[in-house]
Amino acid sequence: MLKSKTFVKKTRSGGVLKIVREHYLRDDIWCGSEVCKECKDEAPVLQEETCIESNLCPYPHYVIPDTNVVLHQIDILEDPLIRNVIILQTVLQEVRHRSAPVYKRIKDAIHEKEKHFYTFTNEHHRETFIEREQGESANDRNDRAIRVAAKWYTDHLAKATDGGTLKVVLLTNDRANKEKAEQFGLTVYRCEEYIKSLVGNPELVDRLAMTSDDQNEITGSKLLFPEHLPLSRIQTGIKNGVFIQGTFHANRDNYLEGTVFVNREGEDINEILLQGLQNLNRAVNQDVVAVELFPKDRWVAPSSVVLQDDNLNDEDTEEDENDSKLKSVASESSVLKPTGRVVGIIKRNWRPFCGMLAQSQIKEATRHLFTPADRRIPRIRIETRQAATLIGQRIMVAIDGWPKNSRYPNGHFVKNLGTAGDKETETEVLLLEHDVPHQPFSQAVLSFLPKMPWGITEEDLKVRADLRHLCVCSVDPPGCTDIDDALHCRELENGNLEVGVHIADVSHFIRPGNALDQEAANRGTTVYLCGKRIDMVPELLSSNLCSLRSNVERLAFSCIWEMNHKAEIIKTHFTKSVINSKASLTYAEAQMRIDDTTINDDITKSLRGLNKLAKILKAQRIDKGALTLSSPEVRFHIDSETHDPIDLQTKELMETNSMVEEFMLLANISVAQKIYDEFSECALLRKHPAPPPSNYDILIKAAKSRDLEIHTDSAKALADSLNNATIENFAYFNTLLRILATRCMMQAVYFCSGMDSDFHHYGLASPIYTHFTSPIRRYADIIVHRLLAVAINADSTYPDLMDKHKQSALCNNINYRHKMAQYAQRASVAFHTQLFFKNKGIINEEGFILFVRKNAIIILIPKFGLEGTVFFENKDKPSPRLSFDTEGPTLKVEEHTFRIFDRVKVTISLDASNLQHQRIRMALTEPVIPGVSVPIPESEPEAKKPKLDR
Amino acid sequence: MAAVKVCEAEKVYIMHGVRDDLRLDGRGCEDYRHMEIETDVVSNTDGSAKISLGHTDVLVGIKAEIGKPRPMVPDEGYLEFFVDCSANATPEFEGRGGEELGVELSNTLYKVFNNRHSLDLRSLCICPGENCWVLYVDVLLLQCDGNLFDAISIAIKAALFNTRIPKVHISEDEEGGKEIELSDDPFDCMRLNVENVPCIVTLCKIGHRHVVDATLQEKACSVASLLIAVTHTGMVTCVRKMGGGSLDPESIFEMTEAGKRVGKSLHAPLMDLLQKEESLGKKRQKVGFLG
Repeated sequence: MLKSKTFVKKTRSGGVLKIVREHYLRDDIWCGSEVCKECKDEAPVLQEETCIESNLCPYPHYVIPDTNVVLHQIDILEDPLIRNVIILQTVLQEVRHRSAPVYKRIKDAIHEKEKHFYTFTNEHHRETFIEREQGESANDRNDRAIRVAAKWYTDHLAKATDGGTLKVVLLTNDRANKEKAEQFGLTVYRCEEYIKSLVGNPELVDRLAMTSDDQNEITGSKLLFPEHLPLSRIQTGIKNGVFIQGTFHANRDNYLEGTVFVNREGEDINEILLQGLQNLNRAVNQDVVAVELFPKDRWVAPSSVVLQDDNLNDEDTEEDENDSKLKSVASESSVLKPTGRVVGIIKRNWRPFCGMLAQSQIKEATRHLFTPADRRIPRIRIETRQAATLIGQRIMVAIDGWPKNSRYPNGHFVKNLGTAGDKETETEVLLLEHDVPHQPFSQAVLSFLPKMPWGITEEDLKVRADLRHLCVCSVDPPGCTDIDDALHCRELENGNLEVGVHIADVSHFIRPGNALDQEAANRGTTVYLCGKRIDMVPELLSSNLCSLRSNVERLAFSCIWEMNHKAEIIKTHFTKSVINSKASLTYAEAQMRIDDTTINDDITKSLRGLNKLAKILKAQRIDKGALTLSSPEVRFHIDSETHDPIDLQTKELMETNSMVEEFMLLANISVAQKIYDEFSECALLRKHPAPPPSNYDILIKAAKSRDLEIHTDSAKALADSLNNATIENFAYFNTLLRILATRCMMQAVYFCSGMDSDFHHYGLASPIYTHFTSPIRRYADIIVHRLLAVAINADSTYPDLMDKHKQSALCNNINYRHKMAQYAQRASVAFHTQLFFKNKGIINEEGFILFVRKNAIIILIPKFGLEGTVFFENKDKPSPRLSFDTEGPTLKVEEHTFRIFDRVKVTISLDASNLQHQRIRMALTEPVIPGVSVPIPESEPEAKKPKLDR
Repeated sequence: MAAVKVCEAEKVYIMHGVRDDLRLDGRGCEDYRHMEIETDVVSNTDGSAKISLGHTDVLVGIKAEIGKPRPMVPDEGYLEFFVDCSANATPEFEGRGGEELGVELSNTLYKVFNNRHSLDLRSLCICPGENCWVLYVDVLLLQCDGNLFDAISIAIKAALFNTRIPKVHISEDEEGGKEIELSDDPFDCMRLNVENVPCIVTLCKIGHRHVVDATLQEKACSVASLLIAVTHTGMVTCVRKMGGGSLDPESIFEMTEAGKRVGKSLHAPLMDLLQKEESLGKKRQKVGFLG
């Protein structure tokens, strides 16, 4: 049966369009219940025994939630306890329209077999489809559709069970809807009512999101914030320039301040400063907001004070004091910034936040404040009855809303992640906080994996170069299971050398557009944490089929050069190939083979050839001005039993490291050139912009303090002056300078060649660069593989590959994921460092001053690659005399002057007083400054200053 | 225009019949053929009607779009006509064959309908000088069996009656910026007053008499015809002479009078029919094109 749906839409150009969609109704949509004999459903989803006990409805029943219940109480629905739920199509469509994340979550719940969630396509069912009536709003129609469907179920199940006990229960929080449903003869409850009636599940109640009804009773009636404007006013305001749209970024150190980043082309104001609670007006980090710009005379300068919102009681007062403090500081300065206030929220970007509970001081209270781990997120008020058990636990909380009469947003408890400080828990927290997708791969994704046992077929051999006879080997760090590159080198008859870089052919297994590809594109990169790896592609590929392990045949994408002995490229050739690696070596093993003159097998000869060429290549590269920078990298020895770090060690660099690196760079550059020549508009490249000169200030000053000069006009000049900057008897000085230079650099990013004109890679001094060599762990490389495969006619193209806008969007995601992966990695190292020091107690170490600040020095401990701050100001102690000189920069504390790069001695311990933000505490032991330095402790741990904590 | 060949003997037979007020199909001189009307046949238009008059089949669709009013009449909307002579109607229309006829028809329709006496054009105004509704009237000839004008005019009137224009209102902000806002209730729409919309009556001079609703054979016997647009009160809004022959003043007068009479009696049953159809609402069985 055919119906048509008609609606009118306004087009972007202001026209009015009438749209008609065909809508088909059918009578073969089953109810999905095991009980029903009438419907010919082969695999009914809904169980006969509904196994959920409620005081309100003691009979077996199915639950039908309405749209708002799904939207707001998704945390409840996701609970394994809630089963046998009917999700109506009407509800699903509305949810999809209103919140993509919730839609995804409910879809996942539906796909989970144990949950017994059934989607009833009531909109296409002959008996449950309804048309919108005159004078009925779209929402009313949907509510009616839900009621009609619920009614249909009631009647249908009654018929199926001969008027038996199985019933349906409609959950709605809408009073009008509830009344109408009751008149209609349905069993209907409010969501809270129903959840509270469930037998033996008190913790579910905590997860109930607060609804608007509850807000009134929680907060006082005093209005704290100005009202947000309705969306229509905001839109017109933005259109005619009264308001400005932007993304809100809260200040990490000052909760009363934030910045709105505006993305407008051709406008000079890109950042708007917001100050004070009223002007922030309930914006939460990452929200898209509408801002009204103040006239110039009300502009202020960003304050430099650190303000933490550690008001302990849940009171809405005493804020004025902080506000005034902020203002007085602000007015002193002369650097004014465009300032404004938030008038409305265009899009909330709330996600569930990790953090910890701050217990209410009143015993037995059910309302508590939750402190998120991310300092940019305000504290959230939640209601829970299990506060006692949640103290000391990492928990997740979702925000439900922020009424204008409440100091803090209201939220609800989502889940308990585990004990704070626990390794599993903390890893989970840092993955969640850095937005790293780390769920196990879904069935849909896994279904695109090749079937095992997998082998190379005749067809593969036909279209690929057979390089199995070559003496290929791989060199990687120890314990590496995702080997994505292998090398070979051999002498040709004409005396030249043939060098091959063979990269795992991941694009052979991951075909464009399928679920596997989409998942990989979303993850963007493999994330390496201490003792844990979060794969971009499923393990079967990353550690087996794509891993170029020794003595197995593997598919590869090879880049083969013919070079003379001066390492000049004579010919470059790309081909898909089949290889058989002869050995998987570690850096140390390879180094040993090269150095041991008694070994003379093919592999070793090949390695020596490679090593020789690599040295020449490196020399050439450095000659061109490539930078050798340094960062203090550490590696943990992890106990195999407890997985606790037992020792720290800085990474050792060997010749073979740079040998592999050199050829990877060469391959990347060759491929970049090739794909850019072939696809000038849509090649995916990587660039590293030159930093603005001001970035180098600190480096130049630091060198000057030791009477050395650093030239920063070009990469070449910088590299040369870094090479020459050495001090006798201070071997580590050069490394320190390079560490500083690294901090001056910009972030390298992926981009699409059609969208940018500056391709230069500053750090490598290469005019063009891309990533080709690690497709197992980076998605960018997969795209580059596909482009290259198209360029050499080895594979077919697809539309998205040639669409520069799509590719640009992809680049943005990959860049974001890379950045987050990096942060997560650092956080993981920091956490493991803390664990390490927790076990060690207090340690005395030697270190160097890396930065000098107004009231502190930052110290690097080379042995641990650890950085820490020594503060000279204390809340509860009189501060020593401090005088700071920006020129040096130097800091004079009492009689001693601290200069950058000074050698100092410190004690290192773990400050665990704040469970949420544990940190390494450093205290000065040498030079000895009375009242500032601490005596060298023997074995007794340092008495920690008791600090009031949330 | 689609024409049939008629031999001398046939002509004489037809002319003699007309003289005696008896036409080939048994009608009198001022009788119309059997007429069928259905409205709301094309769902993605704002108003539509299909009419079959004898074997003449015409489909009219009306689309309302927001446009700019003409500078001379800033407070009025306007109508645009397009007549598509589909090759379905007759093989002669194939290629560009129907173009000339199409232009002629649409020009005539423009003269007849696009004036404030036949339709309240002011009701189409949204914001004087800024926005107005433009009604695009698309006429599709599906089959030609004579008397196209009358059929088209009736179909247009029915389609206008059926037209529902979505209601819009203008919101104005402090800056004076105007924004057109659309009501999100699809039932919230504006109807047109079609009371004064005229119908065209074409009278063909055959011998010394004239007939309405001439078939193709009768048309072949006529040297000239007179096209009269008449409103329900009998007011003539437009007169046009068509065909190569001449008409003497006396017969023009006679034909005008006859046209008024016929036109007047055409409106009442038409409106009756349209209202009755509408009152059926959703229960009405749609016939469409296969009926």
